Parts: sequence; structure tokens; C-alpha cells
Amino acid sequence: MSLLEVRNLEVTFASRGGKLIALRDISFSLEPGERLGIVGESGAGKSVAAFAILNLVSRPGYISGGEILFEGQDLTQLSPQEMRSIRGNRISMIFQDPMMTLNPVLSVGVQMTEVLHAHREINSEEARSRALQTLTRVHISSPEKRFDQYPHELSGGMRQRVVIATALLTESSLIIADEPTTALDVTIQAEIMDLLLELCELNNVGLILITHDLGVISQVTQRAVVMYAGRVVEAGPIRDIVRDAQHPYTQGLIDALPQQTSPGKRLNQIQGVMPSLSNIPKGCPFNPRCPLVMDECRTRVPAYTRIGSMRIACHAAGNTQRRSRPHLELSKA
Amino acid sequence: MIAPAWRRFERSYLFYSFRRDQVAIISFTILFIFVLASFSAPLLAPYDPYDPMQIDIMDSEIPPVWMEAGDQRFMLGTDAQGRDLFSTILYGSRISITIGIFAVLLQAFLGISIGLVSGYVGGRLDNFLMRLADIQLSFSTLMVAIIFLAVFQALFGTELYEKLAILMLILVIGIAEWPQYARTVRANVLAEKKKEYVDAVRVIGLGSLRIMFKHILPNTLSPILVISTVQIANAIVSEAALSFLGLGMPVTKPSLGSLINSGFEFIFSGSWWITIIPGIVLVLLVLVMNLLGDFLRDVMNPKLYKD
Repeated sequence: MSLLEVRNLEVTFASRGGKLIALRDISFSLEPGERLGIVGESGAGKSVAAFAILNLVSRPGYISGGEILFEGQDLTQLSPQEMRSIRGNRISMIFQDPMMTLNPVLSVGVQMTEVLHAHREINSEEARSRALQTLTRVHISSPEKRFDQYPHELSGGMRQRVVIATALLTESSLIIADEPTTALDVTIQAEIMDLLLELCELNNVGLILITHDLGVISQVTQRAVVMYAGRVVEAGPIRDIVRDAQHPYTQGLIDALPQQTSPGKRLNQIQGVMPSLSNIPKGCPFNPRCPLVMDECRTRVPAYTRIGSMRIACHAAGNTQRRSRPHLELSKA
Repeated sequence: MIAPAWRRFERSYLFYSFRRDQVAIISFTILFIFVLASFSAPLLAPYDPYDPMQIDIMDSEIPPVWMEAGDQRFMLGTDAQGRDLFSTILYGSRISITIGIFAVLLQAFLGISIGLVSGYVGGRLDNFLMRLADIQLSFSTLMVAIIFLAVFQALFGTELYEKLAILMLILVIGIAEWPQYARTVRANVLAEKKKEYVDAVRVIGLGSLRIMFKHILPNTLSPILVISTVQIANAIVSEAALSFLGLGMPVTKPSLGSLINSGFEFIFSGSWWITIIPGIVLVLLVLVMNLLGDFLRDVMNPKLYKD
């Protein structure tokens, strides 16, 4: 049984000008202990997808279709109480900016043990010792001291370690990390990412890593989902995607990586910007920016094509005339 | 336990600004002396104004000591019934301050709960509660209080009213002013609930009540503290105004307002001190509270730096 299986998920936002569909026909799955990357530009719907898995899309948005099977249970059918017993207990989430995700007026210890008190019958003595143990596991020095400190007394990296420790406290089987290192200093980004991966591997925790950086995903995940304007445009094993991207948008993302440009040259970029939800172009949403655009792309939304273990939504998929490009070096972080 | 907390307070920005602000120091000192003196009234006051045995009608309307007809026994003179004015003011401020504090506690309890729910839940409930606040605010506090207290006196008689006067005043002033808190808290909750830490605790699986009271409320505490000081002063003034109109504390158990009222009849016969001295006490009390409120507002609002 898959740990998580999202089938045809659709999220709608009811706005004054009518209904806007923020996510359309999103499907992907995750095995226990597996790592999946969700990539895309800002506005592609990555974070909405993450919140939708926890059934926390905030008003005026709501899940308007599809299923989210977590350990065989459809999360969209659960009562608010049942859903709450899953949040933080079976599925944890890590946010981008640890400055913002920790409450400034409560001490680190209070915020950490809160998860335990919410989901377990546990006295504060036990909760404290569990929290201290976990703080040690995320390599925080002198955990007793940190436990009573306030977020503003810790550095950015230390705060993200606290957040990771909190996510690990309840032995969740799935962690969703929404750009977990973007807000951190470049010097400690790799350190925090390694820590997160190491702990997930150690506890056989599934990880969904949301980022705009295909480079990071290619190094740490096994499979990837590329999103554009609320749709999955390409999905498959990360090796195949990086070596043999079929969708022009994925190719554009790969070309935009700094490693793809020789020093001194301008970085490649995808022309244009992501369309807003209220203004998605007819046909393939990527067509105004696509270098390979055909007449068909402007009229018809492409269906999914399967090539090997990849799934691509592009009329040109499998077309041999695609421009050639150097392969991305795959290296283990 | 207390020592580290005190040390943290000593190093805080609040204490630092307090030490550099002379107005705040003076206001705080005066307020502190007032509160201390009025709450130890039974120890400090030379007479007990509630004890009829100690009151002699022959001592009525004796002016303060520094005047020619003054009497050594009565420092600030006596009122029309022969009560020592100094003792009566001490006991009276105790009643005024008690009513002020408890009325504000009630206001805060109602206003904070309603404001939190209104801001956090939003939508129709928010609309309903805020319109309710608008309606409440469109009646002035005094009007509501006068109608309510007058009806109560008419229905249940003055005897019962005199027994329950303190409780009634607390209830009326407390209920009439909750929208002040509700609006302030709601505005702050609207700003706070968009912050990521709220998402983060929702993701942890906490319930709405826990999120509201444990996570959002502490973040809105500084504006609450600021309006509380001002609201206590307002409540004391409201109580004084009601007592002055004869709807507040009875003359047998006078607050500052009823003392001012009781002396008002005699002001033209020359006994000005019965009205003026409690009046000065009231003004001073309210003034230092407002000054402290201003000080708190300046310190706790980071957007407003004074040089």
C-alpha cells in the first residue's frame, strides 16, 4: 500500500469574479520512506497542494474533487476531529521561514511539547524529556538551555532545527517540507537539508519536498512532480526527468540552473511569467511561453502521455525534433 | 522563581524607558501611593466613616486644619454628616478603584473573548458581533447605566440597591464598555492570524480554542495592556458620574463620586472642601492613569519612536 496517493485532486477558490480552479487533476503517489519533489515557479500551486493534503486550504478555497489516500484512508472524507488527530501526529509539515513559523511569545519548549500534549496522554515531565531527546537528535547543543529560550534568542539555522525536531516528535510517517531551506543562510542550507534527509531515512519517514529549485530535487529525491499553473505537467523518476525531460517547461527549468551555463555567460531563463489564476490561457497553459508551441497547443489542453515511467502533459511529448541539450550532472549531495 | 523574572524585567525595554521617563515615574509613584493608601484605609484612616458610633453630627462642616475654624482632629475637615473627610476619601477611593478594576476585568473578559472569536472565525459571525458592538457603542455608557440602574432601583427598591450597589456598578460599567476591547482585539487578531506561526500550529493539529487563547492572544497583549489603563480611568470616571447623579454608591458608603455629590449642596454655603478635595483626588487619580497609559502606548508601539 502506498503511503500517500493523491488522485485527481482539485482545489477551487470562490472569488467575487467566479470560481477559480487553483489545482486541477493533480495525481501523484508516495511509498513509505520515499522522497518526492514538487517543483515549479511561484504561483504554480505547490503550497496549495501541500495544504490540501492536510485538508487545510483556507477560505475561500476548498477541495472540490479527487481523493487523498493516506495509508489507505481518504483524508477528504474525514471529520474535522479525525483530521486533527492526523495533523502533526501522522503527517507533519515544515515551513519555509523559521522566523515566522515559531510563535515569538512562547518558549521553544512550550511550542515543541504542544504537539505531544495535543496527540498523546503525556505528562509535562515526559514531554520535556522527549523534546530534549529530539533536540539532541537534530544536533542542537545544550538542549536544556534552548528548551527554555525564546525563538528570537536562536539563530535561523537553530530555529529550523527546532522546527524539524518538532516534526519528528510524534513519529509521523510523512513530512511535507515547503521550501525548508530557502530562508536560511546559504552556508547552512546544505547542512539542514542533510539533517532532514538523514532523519527521514533513519525513521523511514516519507518526505515531500516542495521547492522551485530543480537542482536540489535532483540531488535528494527519487521522484519528482513538475507543476505549472495548478497542473502537473510532468511526473516521473528524477533521473529520467533530469536526463530526458519531455515537457518544454521542465526543460526550461533545467536550462535555468546555473550549472547549465558556462561562467561569464548570462543565465538562461524561461521567457514570460506564470499566468494568474483568473487569466489562464486557452489550451495548454504554458503555450504563450513555450518555444515549441504548435497550433494545437492554443486550442486543446494536452492529455497525459506515458513515456516509460514518465507522465507528460504536452502535445509535443515524444516528438524527436526537440532541441538537444547537455545532460545535467547527477551528483549525490 | 521570582528572582530571574525580576532580573529579566530589569533588563527589559519597558523598564529601561520607564526609568528615563520622569512623567511616568511620577505618575506611577502617585498611583502606587493612592492604591496602597486606599487599600490600607482601615489601618491608615483615623476614623471609620462606616461606623455611626464614631460620627458626631456636632462635628459637621468643619473646615480643613489650615483654615481658621479648623479642628486638629480632622485634617481635611468634615462633611455635612460630621465624617472625617480624609478617612472618607481613603475609603471612597478604595471603592472607586475596586469598581474600576473589576469593571475593566469584566469588560476585558467579554471584549477579549468576543474579539478573539470574531477575528479568528470571521465571516458572518464576525459581521454579527461587530454590528452588535456598533449598536452597543451608539448608546453612551452613561445612558445605558442610568436607564439600567434607575429601573433596578424602581423595581427592587433602594434598600436592596444599596446592598448590591458595588456589584451593580461593576456589571453595568463592565457590560457597557466591552466593544472597546472587542474592536482592538479583533483588529489585532486579523493581523496575527495571517502570520505563518498560526498556519504552523494548525498543521500541528491544535483546536481553534487552543490556537486563539494560547497562541494569538499573547501576541495581542500589548494593546490590551494599553487600553486597560485608560479603561480603568474611564470606569472610575463613569462610576463617579453615576454616583454624582445619585445612581451610584449610596451616601452611607460613599465613593469619590458620591462624596463630591454630597458636598455639592453645601458649596454655596461656603463648605467648598467637601466637594473640591475629593474632586482633586479624582482628577489626580484619573490623570496619572491616563499618563501611564500614554507611556505604555509609546513604549509598546514600535512604530512610534520618541527621541
